[in-house]
Amino acid sequence: MTTTTDRGTPLVELRDIRVAFGGVHAVDGVTVDLYPGEVVALVGGNGAGKTTLIRTLSGAHKADSGQIFINGERVVIESPRDAKTHAIETIYQTLALAENIDAPSNMFLGRELATRWGTLNDRAMENAAVQVMGRLNPKFQNFKVPVQSLSGGQRQSVAIARAVHFNAKILIMDEPTAALGPAETEQVNDLIQQLKAEGIGIFLISHDIHDVFDLADRISVMLQGKLVGTVNKTDVTKDEVLGMIIMGKLPSEVSATELEQLHD
Amino acid sequence: MTNAPAKAPEEQIESIQVEESARGRFGSIIREMEIDTRMLGMILALLVIWIGFHFWSGKGSWSNGTFLTARNLWNLSVQTAAVGIMATGMVLVIVSRNIDLSVGSMLAVLGMAMAMLQAEILPDYLDFGSPWIWVISLAAGIVMGAVLGAFQGVIIAHVGVPSFIVTLGGLLVWRGAAWMMASGRTIAPMDATFQLLGGGARGTIGATWSWVVGVLAAVGIVVLLINNRRQRIRYGFHVRPRWADYSIGVFSIAVVLGAVGYLNSYLLPPRLAEQRGGGDIAFGLANPVLIAIAVVLAITFIATRLRFGRYVYAIGGNPEAAELAGIKTKATIVKTFALMGILVGIGAAVQVARLNAAVSGLGQLTELYVIAAAVIGGTSLSGGIGTIPGAMLGALVMQSLQSGMALVGVETAAQDIAVGVVLVVAVAFDTVYRRRSAA
Amino acid sequence: MFIRKLVALLAVLALLAAACGGDDDDATETTAGSDDTTTTEAMTDETTTTEAMTDETTTTAATGDDELIVGVSWNNYNEERWAKSDEPAIVAALDAAGASYISTDAGSSAEQQITDVEQLISQGADVLIILAQDGTAILPAVQSAVDQGVPVIAYDRLIENPGALYITFDNVEVGRMQARAIYEAVPEGNYVFIKGNQADANADFLRGGQQEVLLEATGCEELEGDCPIVNVGEMYTDNWDPAVAQTNMEQILTQINNEVDAVVASNDGTAGGVVEALRAQGLAGIVPVSGQDGDAAALNRVALGEQTVSVWKDARELGKAAGEAAVALAQGTALGDIAGVVSFDSPGGNTMTSILLAPIPITQDNLDVVLTAEWIDEATLCQNVPSGTVAVCP
Repeated sequence: MTTTTDRGTPLVELRDIRVAFGGVHAVDGVTVDLYPGEVVALVGGNGAGKTTLIRTLSGAHKADSGQIFINGERVVIESPRDAKTHAIETIYQTLALAENIDAPSNMFLGRELATRWGTLNDRAMENAAVQVMGRLNPKFQNFKVPVQSLSGGQRQSVAIARAVHFNAKILIMDEPTAALGPAETEQVNDLIQQLKAEGIGIFLISHDIHDVFDLADRISVMLQGKLVGTVNKTDVTKDEVLGMIIMGKLPSEVSATELEQLHD
Repeated sequence: MTNAPAKAPEEQIESIQVEESARGRFGSIIREMEIDTRMLGMILALLVIWIGFHFWSGKGSWSNGTFLTARNLWNLSVQTAAVGIMATGMVLVIVSRNIDLSVGSMLAVLGMAMAMLQAEILPDYLDFGSPWIWVISLAAGIVMGAVLGAFQGVIIAHVGVPSFIVTLGGLLVWRGAAWMMASGRTIAPMDATFQLLGGGARGTIGATWSWVVGVLAAVGIVVLLINNRRQRIRYGFHVRPRWADYSIGVFSIAVVLGAVGYLNSYLLPPRLAEQRGGGDIAFGLANPVLIAIAVVLAITFIATRLRFGRYVYAIGGNPEAAELAGIKTKATIVKTFALMGILVGIGAAVQVARLNAAVSGLGQLTELYVIAAAVIGGTSLSGGIGTIPGAMLGALVMQSLQSGMALVGVETAAQDIAVGVVLVVAVAFDTVYRRRSAA
Repeated sequence: MFIRKLVALLAVLALLAAACGGDDDDATETTAGSDDTTTTEAMTDETTTTEAMTDETTTTAATGDDELIVGVSWNNYNEERWAKSDEPAIVAALDAAGASYISTDAGSSAEQQITDVEQLISQGADVLIILAQDGTAILPAVQSAVDQGVPVIAYDRLIENPGALYITFDNVEVGRMQARAIYEAVPEGNYVFIKGNQADANADFLRGGQQEVLLEATGCEELEGDCPIVNVGEMYTDNWDPAVAQTNMEQILTQINNEVDAVVASNDGTAGGVVEALRAQGLAGIVPVSGQDGDAAALNRVALGEQTVSVWKDARELGKAAGEAAVALAQGTALGDIAGVVSFDSPGGNTMTSILLAPIPITQDNLDVVLTAEWIDEATLCQNVPSGTVAVCP
């Protein structure tokens, strides 16, 4: 059951996106949207197409057809740089950090601050990194070591710091807590709440149904490249969502016994 | 447990603690001074090689030894220059996860071009001895190097052929071209001013100017240390204790001025001194050495202070991350190879000037020495890691071995074996060291 | 797509530019062995251009009586001598006799040369001229050729097979000539020997000849102790590389503190490196240096007084002799019946049927010889020579 209440112009709308690799339709006519201050979770099994869909928004991949609207206006996103100019920041599943350089350099990679002679202004970048990390992970001290020496959670915070520092309005997070322990997962979840409160819209990809229910406002489910449907979290149960993921059936289409069978 | 051991348990623990704290104190000194232990290890190895050869060349006696004489060290500095210059560029190539096997052949074709311009082509249009001759030849060599390098870079980055294959092709093509240009002839002699680039008795700056260079270096060290300290304080980072800064400063300046002074003690042989008015005239720093120093400073600056250098390291560390960050990776790779070409051009000029001739066999196997220098200097073949000064040090280590062996009369075949063994041992140490510090 | 087309175009242009930059006198081109073929595979567009050029090779040789095919296996075409002197002389002799010429280049690889020899036989060569990269490694191929009834000429470098005709300049005599010229200048003092490539048999022939003359002239058993001539330094030179010779000489000078009176260098390339090392110590033109090959740069040094002697082997004579002998052998003449042969006892204990040509030592006194023979022109020979110092130079 999709919601139809009038909420004004969405922050982001991905309309009728199609991506094909050879003869395989990875994303087949999917439409999703996102409003300020909300978290929309994109869920689905392996090969559902959620990562490919979101990569069209982050500029990592160009959609074959379809449109992208930001605040109601049509935009064209063909590269990661384009996405960043529209205040879209992405935290990839692999984090996309260069292991051999330090945290501030990673934060500013591709967008380095320069001195008035055109050389790298490492001090200013370190300074900015200290400021941002102070908000996210106050205990973080290792600003000069290569990122390789940091723990998984610290690396995650560097990736998030990158997004936060550049004042993202739209944040894409692909499996942010998959490699983290419970304490660090808690930290990330707190951060997400904080960002929501600031009016930032977040697309969240996660396979953990419990995380999804903790964080998301709406849930969009994909199966084999097609959108099964978008539901409000408050209107559904976990099992109904599982039913959407596995069977591709909306809650209204599925019976109680079928839902029980999912647990066999 | 009931039988008393040789030492009482409390004593044992105490002695272990004393041992540990002594080691710990030494270790903490190193840490406080923030010395790169790997670089330190390499310098120690170099000293061992130098002292070893000094004894060997003196047949066991220190005073008869010839390796550590000012003359031999002066010669060593010139012999290292060409490979060292090219090794700095090779660091960036390898860091970006590529390799350049064509360096030796490119040296031949660039050297041949510069030689032919000076000896055969330009004299038809300009007078012998005209300053334009050497300027045009040198510029032509460097520009040609940039073009050939960029050409290889474009095939690697835009067409997507692996650098191993492209530069392997280059190795064959440029060597053949070098031969075709002069039909295998030896081209000699070079323009008189051009020859100065290669050192020799006239290609040096003399004692006074060498001191000037030394003092400039000392001032530079002081400025760097002060600046570094100020920045750390301003941004609230960990500041080295004053004694550490002072020690480093005093030590570095002593080494620099000591080296200049010692090299300055290498005097012109009587016959040459007479031609210049007699007396004790020092050679001073040789031009190739000055060029090498300038190259190290320039390329280190490029690698650490410019966006281009940062991007090269990022591409080496995680090419996908670099793309996602919006870095123009293809253009960066092309520039890396073009820079390598420029450095080969400079190296070729130094080599041809030193030999005062160009032969089509110039630079055979040089690519291997250049790569070995970079790798011994700490550059990792898997990309992302490597320093410029390290490569120059690596070149110095290898040349010290080769020159040392020639000094004591070891045959070339044995020299080749020794250099190969050292290369593998050095990289083995490095691999184990990295594994230990990562654990 | 555009980038790829641009790259292909540049590749073709680069190759054409390199080809056009070559010497105009360069008449023939060898069918490339290892060198060119593999390169052209890396960049497709170049293949067509090289094939166009190699097609010239077969047409320049005479096609009159193409019954007789002479196959030449070069060890490494990349050296000045072969293209400039030996090859044209061989081809001229073959043209005069109406035989045709095919060749291969082993690119300094002994294994490749074995393949090359087999290839020449299968292409129908009636006789082979082999310039061996490694005289021992090539033995099986030579024996196989001889067994198949294809006569073999060992050109310039020894191949220890009595069935082959060994045509060379007497390399031991070259060494003797080098030593004689130096001894005349410096009858007593410290001598340094800069030798050739350790793997090249010629290097030891030369050294042997040098030693023979010096021992005889001084009457000593060894060049040490209280002998008037003392050997203070001796090193092989990897690949005959002049740069290696320069570095080795620098190190020897350091070790003996410049106390050298003469340097016996085995060829002109290494002599060049030696002279540069001496120059840095102000000893160029003061310490006599020997060489061989009659290199243009070396002859200029002789005129300038920086090199005492360059033993000249007119390679054109060698090529001519080899070409003529090849035709005779292909026509069925027996080994012993070839004009001008003598017996030569090789180091390996074989009795080789040989033609030994006499080299000519060129010193400042007989530079007119190379001018008259049109081996070098006056401008090149006399470059930078102050007027009035040398007879043949203005």
